[in-house]
Amino acid sequence: MNSKLKKFGQGFLVLLLALSFISLGIWQLHRAQDMKTSSTVAIDNHIYPLTDLAAASGSIPPAAIGKVVSTSGHYIANFKAPHQKDGKGVIADWDVALLQTDTDTAILVVRGLWQDRFVSPEIVMSTNVEITGTLLPHQNDDRAENTAQQLSRLDSSLLTGQTQMQLFDGFIMEKSESTRSGPVTRTRISTPVLTSGVPGFYWQHISYVVIWWLMALVILWLPFYGRRNRINP
Amino acid sequence: MSEAQTFGALARFRLMAILCGVNLLLLIFGYMPAKHIFHVVQTHQWMVFIPVAHGYLYIIYILTALQIGVQKKMSLPVIIALIAAGTLPFASFIAERRIVKKYS
Repeated sequence: MNSKLKKFGQGFLVLLLALSFISLGIWQLHRAQDMKTSSTVAIDNHIYPLTDLAAASGSIPPAAIGKVVSTSGHYIANFKAPHQKDGKGVIADWDVALLQTDTDTAILVVRGLWQDRFVSPEIVMSTNVEITGTLLPHQNDDRAENTAQQLSRLDSSLLTGQTQMQLFDGFIMEKSESTRSGPVTRTRISTPVLTSGVPGFYWQHISYVVIWWLMALVILWLPFYGRRNRINP
Repeated sequence: MSEAQTFGALARFRLMAILCGVNLLLLIFGYMPAKHIFHVVQTHQWMVFIPVAHGYLYIIYILTALQIGVQKKMSLPVIIALIAAGTLPFASFIAERRIVKKYS
C-alpha cells in the first residue's frame, strides 16, 4: 500500500514538473511570437481619437499599436529620455511630456529632440494642445538612470508614484502639435521600428522554449532511467 | 560501451562545460552589468549574442551531460547536479574537472 502511494506520489510529482516546464516553454513561445508580430504592423494612415483605441489604466490592445491617434490636453510635466533610437537608427536624447487628456487621465508623449525643448516657449501648463501621433507600446529596457527629471525608458509605470492620474500604457510619438495660435513647428522624430530594438531577443526566447521542453522530456524520462539501472545494475 | 564512445562522450561534455562556463561568466559579469547598470545594450546590440549563445550552448550542454551520465550509469542526483552546473558561475568548470578526474 505504502509502495503504491509512493509510486503515485512520484508519478504525480513528475507530471507536475513536466507540465510546469511545458507551460514555461509555451510562455516563452508566446513572448517570442509577440516580438515577431510586433514588427509586422500593417500601415494605417487613418487618424483615430485616442480613447477609441485605448483606455487609461489598461494595456494597449495589440491592434491599436502603430495606429495614428489624436488627442488634446495640457502638458503637466516634462522629462528627458536619454539614448533613444529613432526609426532611422539615430540615437539621441528625446523631449518627453506628460499630457493630461482629461481630469484624471494622462499619457506620455514624445515631442521631439531634447535639444529643441525651448523652441516653443509659448506652450505653458495652461495651454491647450492638440496632438496627433503614433501610439506605441511602453518600452521594457532601460536606457539610462531613472530620476525625477529623466526617464530611463518610455514607460508610464515609472511615474505612478509621482502622480495620482490614471496613466495610459504606452506613449504617443508626436507627428504634429498645435495650439490655439496655430501649429507648432519643431523637428519630429521618425517612429521607431516596432520591435524590442534588439533582434536577437526573438532567438533567445526560442532557445528558452527548447530548454524548457527539453527539461520536461528529461523529467519524464528520469523514472525510466532509474528503473533501467535497477534492472541492469 | 566501447572506450572510443566513452572518450567521445567525455570530450563532448568537457568542451560544452568549458564553452558554457565561459559564456555564463560573460553573461553574468559582462552582459548583465551592461544591461542593468550601464544601460548600453540598446546602443551596443552585438552584446545580445551573449544571452542567445548561452541559450543554445546550454541545450547542447544538457545533452552531453545526459549522454555521459547514462553511459557511466550515474545516479539521478548526480545527473541533475551536472545539468544544474550549467546555470551556476564556475560550477560547470568544477563539474568538468571532477568528471575528467573520475572517468579519464
